Amino acid sequence: MNAPTVRVLYIDDEENNLHAFKAGFRRQYEIYTAISAVEGLKILENVAIHVIIADQKMPQTTGVEFFKSITNTFPDPVRILLTGYTDIEALADAINHGDIYRYITKPWNDLELHNSIKNAYDAYKAKIDLRNKVIELEKTNDELNRFIYSISHELRAPLVSAMGVINLVKMEGLYESCGEYWSLMETCSNRLDYYIQKTLQYYKNNKTISEHTNIDFSTLVPDLIELYSYSDKETHFNVDIKQDVPFYGDSFRIEVILGNLISNAIKYQKTEETHKKVGISILVKKENAELTISDNGIGILNEHLEKIFTQFFKSKTNHGSGLGLFIVKEALNKIHGKISVSSDPLEGTTFKIKIPNVK
Amino acid sequence: MLSKPRKVMLIDDNEVDLKINSKIITISKLFDEIIVCKSGEDGLSYLSEHTDDPNNLPDFILLDIQMPEMDGFEFLEIYKNFPDPVKEKCIIAILSSTLDFGDIKKAEANPLVIKLLRKPLFPKELEELLRKYFIL
Repeated sequence: MNAPTVRVLYIDDEENNLHAFKAGFRRQYEIYTAISAVEGLKILENVAIHVIIADQKMPQTTGVEFFKSITNTFPDPVRILLTGYTDIEALADAINHGDIYRYITKPWNDLELHNSIKNAYDAYKAKIDLRNKVIELEKTNDELNRFIYSISHELRAPLVSAMGVINLVKMEGLYESCGEYWSLMETCSNRLDYYIQKTLQYYKNNKTISEHTNIDFSTLVPDLIELYSYSDKETHFNVDIKQDVPFYGDSFRIEVILGNLISNAIKYQKTEETHKKVGISILVKKENAELTISDNGIGILNEHLEKIFTQFFKSKTNHGSGLGLFIVKEALNKIHGKISVSSDPLEGTTFKIKIPNVK
Repeated sequence: MLSKPRKVMLIDDNEVDLKINSKIITISKLFDEIIVCKSGEDGLSYLSEHTDDPNNLPDFILLDIQMPEMDGFEFLEIYKNFPDPVKEKCIIAILSSTLDFGDIKKAEANPLVIKLLRKPLFPKELEELLRKYFIL
């Protein structure tokens, strides 16, 4: 690999210094020299310079003045100030206003100056690389946003049409007409839809900035129950909401959290249980809301309790996606909420949540 | 409460969904007649044509959100300017597969929209909604 060409501009009013510099460094760098600030500016306008070295003591414009004058027009080249005397004020000024990377005393030591130029170039490169990365990331982010939006529309719309056809098949009494093929199709479509929905939830949780709105749990909870219990009419819901004070929070994430827990409570029930129960109690206080969601379902094995919030954790017996509780936890992290769980295969599972009231 | 609804208008650019939803409505016998519109423009021109002819106006409109050229929200912006008797007669619900939080909030906030129904359309869900506004 060839070493990159480093373009160095050296500005000094003493011709001898310019010669000495050129002689000493022309093998390592592409050297441009200028006898004054005006000359230096001309070069900057025509050549993409990486490192600028300027002498402080020059008749018309000092090194610091020159650096100051180009802060907006040429912000990228890294600046090194050469000075023959120790002028603290000039130095302070240089550091504060001229964006100086190094200062080197005259007469310079070749090795020291060489190292400084090398480091300055590295700094230049890091600065440019970072900027390119930011541009690249912004572009990727933008594409990802559009991709996610298209998942939520273009990718899901035909799937939902297919689910509509399956409904029609049921309505026309053809569901059993092909053995179990229609029910297999239905299971697959539902699973695909579930994954699309969870992927979107996860993504939106990561992206969306918290917006705080007034949340009325006594309307939110029945809405969520209606949404998730649609295909299940056997479960009995016991809802107890005490909200005497207004609650402000992130309604999107709270819906995601409650929605996932309610849908889990409905989904993981004992098939033989005749009194399927889900209890939801919410107590809203000035400082927080305490939510409890309990069920008499299949429960969670003790050794699994610690792992249920990790991504793609699935137990052998329950064919979940390994995403629901992971998303719950992620969403809670974003709004500084807490969750705890207790479970028993005989009694069922209870999740307790605390969400801060932000107003 | 309004008397038993007779006509429903479906506005959707997706022909598969138009076919599926027409069929679901036919089988569920919730309406006697279906006015099928392949775009918001189609729907608007039907409504302006029959503005003074309440017998031919739909009692209920199922409106999709995602459509090329004129989307559901743009349709509502224009529909807003129809005379009150039309708006009182034609009740609108959105029927969409959207999961976009912004779209959902926007639909729920629109005073002309009574509900956001999600595709696929379930006849039971539609019936429950209609019962709140009509004597079936």
